[in-house]
Amino acid sequence: MKVRVDLDRCVGHGRCYELAGSVFAEDDRGHCLVKRSTIPPELEVAARRGAENCPEDAIVIEEE
Amino acid sequence: MSTPNPNPENRQINIIDPAFTLNPQPVYDEVLTRYRVAKTIGLNSPVISRYEDVIWALRHPEIFSSEMDMHVGLGTERPMIPQQLDPPLQTRYRKILDLQFSRARVMEIEPDVRRHANELIDQFVDAGECEFDRDFAIPLPCRAFLRMMGLPQEDLELFLELKNGIIRPPIANPYDIAAAKEYRAKTGKRIYAYFEALIDDREKSPRDDMMTYFTKVELDGKKLTRNEILDICFLFLLGGLDTVTATLGCSVFYLAENPEHRRRLAEDPSLVPAAVEELLRWQTPVTIVPRILKQDWELDGVQMKAGSMVSLLIGAANVDEQEFGAGEGKCVHFERERNRHIAFGAGPHRCLGSHLARMELRVGLEEWHRRIPSYSIKAGETPRVSPGIREVMYLPLVWEKGGAA
Ligand code: HEM
Ligand code: SF4
Repeated sequence: MKVRVDLDRCVGHGRCYELAGSVFAEDDRGHCLVKRSTIPPELEVAARRGAENCPEDAIVIEEE
Repeated sequence: MSTPNPNPENRQINIIDPAFTLNPQPVYDEVLTRYRVAKTIGLNSPVISRYEDVIWALRHPEIFSSEMDMHVGLGTERPMIPQQLDPPLQTRYRKILDLQFSRARVMEIEPDVRRHANELIDQFVDAGECEFDRDFAIPLPCRAFLRMMGLPQEDLELFLELKNGIIRPPIANPYDIAAAKEYRAKTGKRIYAYFEALIDDREKSPRDDMMTYFTKVELDGKKLTRNEILDICFLFLLGGLDTVTATLGCSVFYLAENPEHRRRLAEDPSLVPAAVEELLRWQTPVTIVPRILKQDWELDGVQMKAGSMVSLLIGAANVDEQEFGAGEGKCVHFERERNRHIAFGAGPHRCLGSHLARMELRVGLEEWHRRIPSYSIKAGETPRVSPGIREVMYLPLVWEKGGAA
């Protein structure tokens, strides 16, 4: 699984890094940083949880 | 789901009725199932309410503009920054403001906010009762905000007076619009003067605080002007206090009336962060966000003209079953897996203070339930909820004396 954030959509709600800190982090402004773009199987649930709770649909998940 | 009403003239909802602010859910049901665009009694503008429509509008400021200082006389002399501006100008200010309101910055003051919450509880815990709004929901956000800005806690009373002078002017007849306007203008001048004195002070003797930051920070190579700083601070005072007060009140009001939810929260504090989100969704204390149309616009057969106002009913969007699931949208679930509520708005104007507010709400509910796990509304009393932002202005609570320390 691969994860990326569309920074044109992200406005810093912070739901992703709040709910899935193992996959997402915040930059200085509180916008999303993806910690690792390739997600190991044990973090897939967390990655999905973060993505699903983003009110801006800014997180893109690509299944392999 | 949609059964368009054949006659748009009849799509009336009443949002100034005290019954609406006390329990808006029946009106939300009605607009969501029947009126994709409704008319309102109380606001002279059409209202849109579906999650999908509201979030689309919030993300399209080029059509749904926030430039409306002329439309809401709040005692200001210029538009408030950044709320009453549109991108790209709004976004330029957000770049320097976001740095001060990130989750990381907010976490620095969390221990102090926790201490303030406990000091407030100390004052009434042994009495076995309090009036929640006056004794907890009003002072806690004000103390947190003063701490965030680096201002002295002694300014608490003055701060509350200035904020109330704009939001609820203490005039003899609340329906006297001219008197309210005059009171607001007078209070507005005092607010500008208060913050001007602070700017003067920090220019002379800089400190490690937010006011000093405003006097030094550069935007595209230029320092902020005095007016820019004032227009930011004015908005903080109006947006940063009542909103959290209202959310604390609405949350605890709900928990007092729903003891099974209250009990679970008191027994398992790890549920608090999710409960904060769910109660924000369900109660949505800021029910409406206004916008001005930049162009003619049509939805569901209703024509709206450029320059006219449209209200986005985020309270209804937050219980829309299309987004939150059939049946699910109308239940309160602390374990909701997916909660994309927009109680803090969405798009470029996403609440600047959302991380601060979330921390205050979490700390407030954690400390309250740690020390007063079991409480109820005082027998024979009826809580009251204000119009506009849903502040529970009267919430008398009782509990058994001798709780945890
Ligand atoms: C639970 C508490 C709060 C709620 C429900 C809330 C709600 C909102 C909403 C819905 C908006 C969007 C308005 C729009 O799109 O026109 C907003 C914007 C804003 N809020 Fe909050 N707010 C809260 C707490 C705070 C706090 C503590 C601050 C502290 C300073 C704050 C400062 C702001 C500012 C500056 C904006 C304007 C942002 C912009 O236009 O870019 N809010 N808030
Ligand atoms: S939840 Fe969405 S909008 Fe918020 S920080 Fe994460 S990616 Fe950005």
